[in-house]
Amino acid sequence: MAPQDETLWYKDAVIYQLHVRTFCDSDGNGSGDFRGLTNKLDYLQELGINAVWLLPFYPSPLRDDGYDIANYTSVNPSYGTVEDFKTFLNAAHSRHIRVITELVLNHTSDQHPWFQEARSSRDNPKRDWYVWSDTDTRYQNVRIIFLDTEMSNWAWDPISKSYYWHRFFSHQPDLNFDNPAVREAMWEVMKFWLDIGVDGFRLDAVPYLVEREGTSCENLPETHAVIRELRKRLDAAYPGKMLLAEANQWPADVRAYFGEGDEFHMAFHFPLMPRMFMAVKLEDRKPIIDILEQTPQIPENCQWCVFLRNHDELTLEMVTDIERDYMYDAFANDKEMRINLGIRRRLAPMMENDRRRVELLNGLLLSMPGTPIIYYGDEIGMGDNVYLGDRNGMRTPMQWNGGWNAGFSSADPERLYSPLISNPVYGYQAINVDSQRRSAHSLLSWTKSVIQTRNSSKVFSRGSIEFLNPSNHRVLAYVRQLGEEKVLVVNNLSSSAQAVELNLQSYKGHIPIEMFGRNLFPRIGELPYLLTLGPYQFFWFRLRRI
Amino acid sequence: MAEDIFLGDDFLRQLMSVGEADLLVAVPSYNNAGTIGQTVQAIEESYQRSFVRDRVVILNVDGGSSDHTTDVVVNMNGRKSGPHRGLTSLRTVHRVATQYAKSPSQGMALRTILATVDLLRARSCAIVSPATTNLDASWIANLLRPAYRQEFDFVAPLYARSKNQGLLARNLLYPMSRAVFGQRIREMYSEEWGFSGRLAAQCLSQNVWNVEAIRERPEAWMAITAISSGMKCCQSFLGPKAPPAAGTGPNFVEAVRQTVGNLFWCLENFQGFWLDRKGSASVATFGPEHELTAEEKAPSRKQFFEMFQKGVSELEPILATILAPDTHAQVKRIAELDPSKFRFGPELWVKTLYEFAASYHRSVINRDHMVQALVPLCRGQMYSFFLEHADSSAEEIEANSEAVCLEFERQKAYLIERWKAKS
Repeated sequence: MAPQDETLWYKDAVIYQLHVRTFCDSDGNGSGDFRGLTNKLDYLQELGINAVWLLPFYPSPLRDDGYDIANYTSVNPSYGTVEDFKTFLNAAHSRHIRVITELVLNHTSDQHPWFQEARSSRDNPKRDWYVWSDTDTRYQNVRIIFLDTEMSNWAWDPISKSYYWHRFFSHQPDLNFDNPAVREAMWEVMKFWLDIGVDGFRLDAVPYLVEREGTSCENLPETHAVIRELRKRLDAAYPGKMLLAEANQWPADVRAYFGEGDEFHMAFHFPLMPRMFMAVKLEDRKPIIDILEQTPQIPENCQWCVFLRNHDELTLEMVTDIERDYMYDAFANDKEMRINLGIRRRLAPMMENDRRRVELLNGLLLSMPGTPIIYYGDEIGMGDNVYLGDRNGMRTPMQWNGGWNAGFSSADPERLYSPLISNPVYGYQAINVDSQRRSAHSLLSWTKSVIQTRNSSKVFSRGSIEFLNPSNHRVLAYVRQLGEEKVLVVNNLSSSAQAVELNLQSYKGHIPIEMFGRNLFPRIGELPYLLTLGPYQFFWFRLRRI
Repeated sequence: MAEDIFLGDDFLRQLMSVGEADLLVAVPSYNNAGTIGQTVQAIEESYQRSFVRDRVVILNVDGGSSDHTTDVVVNMNGRKSGPHRGLTSLRTVHRVATQYAKSPSQGMALRTILATVDLLRARSCAIVSPATTNLDASWIANLLRPAYRQEFDFVAPLYARSKNQGLLARNLLYPMSRAVFGQRIREMYSEEWGFSGRLAAQCLSQNVWNVEAIRERPEAWMAITAISSGMKCCQSFLGPKAPPAAGTGPNFVEAVRQTVGNLFWCLENFQGFWLDRKGSASVATFGPEHELTAEEKAPSRKQFFEMFQKGVSELEPILATILAPDTHAQVKRIAELDPSKFRFGPELWVKTLYEFAASYHRSVINRDHMVQALVPLCRGQMYSFFLEHADSSAEEIEANSEAVCLEFERQKAYLIERWKAKS
């Protein structure tokens, strides 16, 4: 691999997202840990992924699943030690798996020593590390993100008798990025982990770093300046490391976070995700086409990150009111399934355990432009428990086998950090890695196969996309192309069999070769190319001119 | 009946692409390139405002236009123009188009529409005219909703009319169809109406497509098919309807020939249903039941009276074969009245019409000629209306209409007697 190619590794990655706590418990304390995760690296290698994104594993009061960090340069004792992390990292690298860690720049836990110092007196040197006010009337028009729990972005601190600013939970005070000392401290945090060897950071909540009166306090130029500064230092000292932005915004707004290729390497494409679900439910490609038409070009060294589900609710912030209502009706008719502006469900239950739809959505995820992220457990079709509060129902222990605690932990079940999924459909006796490993036709085996197929060509990760527009709107078809390599992708979004005629005039003379079975299809000629697809079926064809 | 092939392969290919639909709005056209774009925009706006989640189709059935009407429908960019900018549908709004013939025929257009509704399994359909220049998005929704949401099968429109508009419907078509078929549907003959997929399937299976009365004006036949099958009918208020541009609508003779000819044909073909039926019942109505305005001063239309006199005189032998002697004598008597004292009262008017209907049934002369012989009498009745109601208020007009309707119902026994009489 050429050096330039090596630095662009994130473009070719298939990322597996997991929380150390949820994956495997090696010491029987009821919570997953780095040693347990290290023991499961063979499984991840076997799955075919080549990067792991770890949710926050730092010391934390865990009032927001670790996004309330109390110490940036250590490991939560429940999960192990920094040494355990190093061992895991080296083991992952030896299997050609990169490691992306979570870095919450915007805020800390109110238990972080920085905040404890800052609130201790108005004269404390750390006072200006956070955003304080004597009134709660500044930044009046700024939206509240956690609508279900927070009434204001200001919280009263009874110790220093003033208000502090928080865009998320009130126990997560925002850092003051106008203060050079804060920016320096954060760079020191990054250096700490980069020196150990992490390959990249997923930076949480980046649009909110800087506040200015009279603005929405989101996406401000000053925030971009902070990012550019970090990126410049990163490139200079640690070439080949990657920054991934969490900016839940419209594509045109997220575009700014790529800068001129000098801010983030990657950013999530949030609006695409709900529209993939919507397209399958509506049996109409329109939502996907519409949002991709609105998606601007990004610099050559940048990449979108695409996903179906993650540890958060399926966010419906980047949809219209009409679309949100539809999504709620279609996928969250029980109010318990809703949280904030989103849906707290996993992939398989949202698809009513319909294997065909799960496969189709994964097929879309892995064939569209962008680096795909697979959320732990979705590769075996794990279920959820919406009654566990917050988003904990999608963060239950990984189901390794049908035995004691699903093979996750040897602790007493009462001691587990979370109850297991145990219902007859999604419970660990029915859905687990071991039983699916034994079947060549299981969802796990299928997922391995589709990842392997994606990884067989860089056309999926780096190629251009050209949408075909067959008159049958239930079919989404596109050609991915990289140099001479071309792949035709045809997806039937509907629950019934479909015929489609594709205008493939530009590819006249090519032979479509179905990529999973490697079967030849008739050569493309003058006439529209007729295909029939079963319900939710999709084809990936390599187009070869032989 | 052996099924004949009347949908082209290219059109079928378009339907394959649509798949299944919830709602369909059909626009029959013939050289409407100038106005049909506006119609399509109104339909799209309606879909985007009222049916944003549903599977929707716009269907253009064209009778052989030479002005590229279908191209306008298929190629216009509705989303980025017009007053509904900013609205959008969750799904693709399909537009499909076909030319069903080289020359226009309402019946053939309807057959194509029904077949499309049936193939796409649409639950609700509306038909609108591209000649209606004030078509509004709300009209579409009002025509589609009853069949889509409330399980009605036939949705007749209701328009706001000035008191001198729609006299043929108010004094003949409505009261007679109400008395005969027993349901109070005011506008059975209209360019806009709605219906269910169920009714579409039933009508499509009928062997009527070569009947002239259906080829020309099939809409009331759909309503009567629904009534006679026990399906649910309703009316939906649309608002004022702009009159067609001069020279674009049928002339009066054509209008009588088509509508009354169709009504008489329906009497003939649904006699098993109506002969034993008594009285009439109101149907569900969405919006105001009627909205008359009285601003318009009645035209003098003295020439109507002169045409009536001339017709009664010139058609005397024909009228003698159609009408009972006493009725014929009364008609001749009023034709000799001073124009200012003329009156064609409800009792004589109803009797005259029922005798025409019974004679049509017995085919005493060529049926088409018979219907045309009614034209001067209709003119006479309209002239009488103008005289009598020159200064009437909307309420008075309504009261008069209801009295005419009740007279039709009162004399229905006479119609049945004449209908069953041996010639």
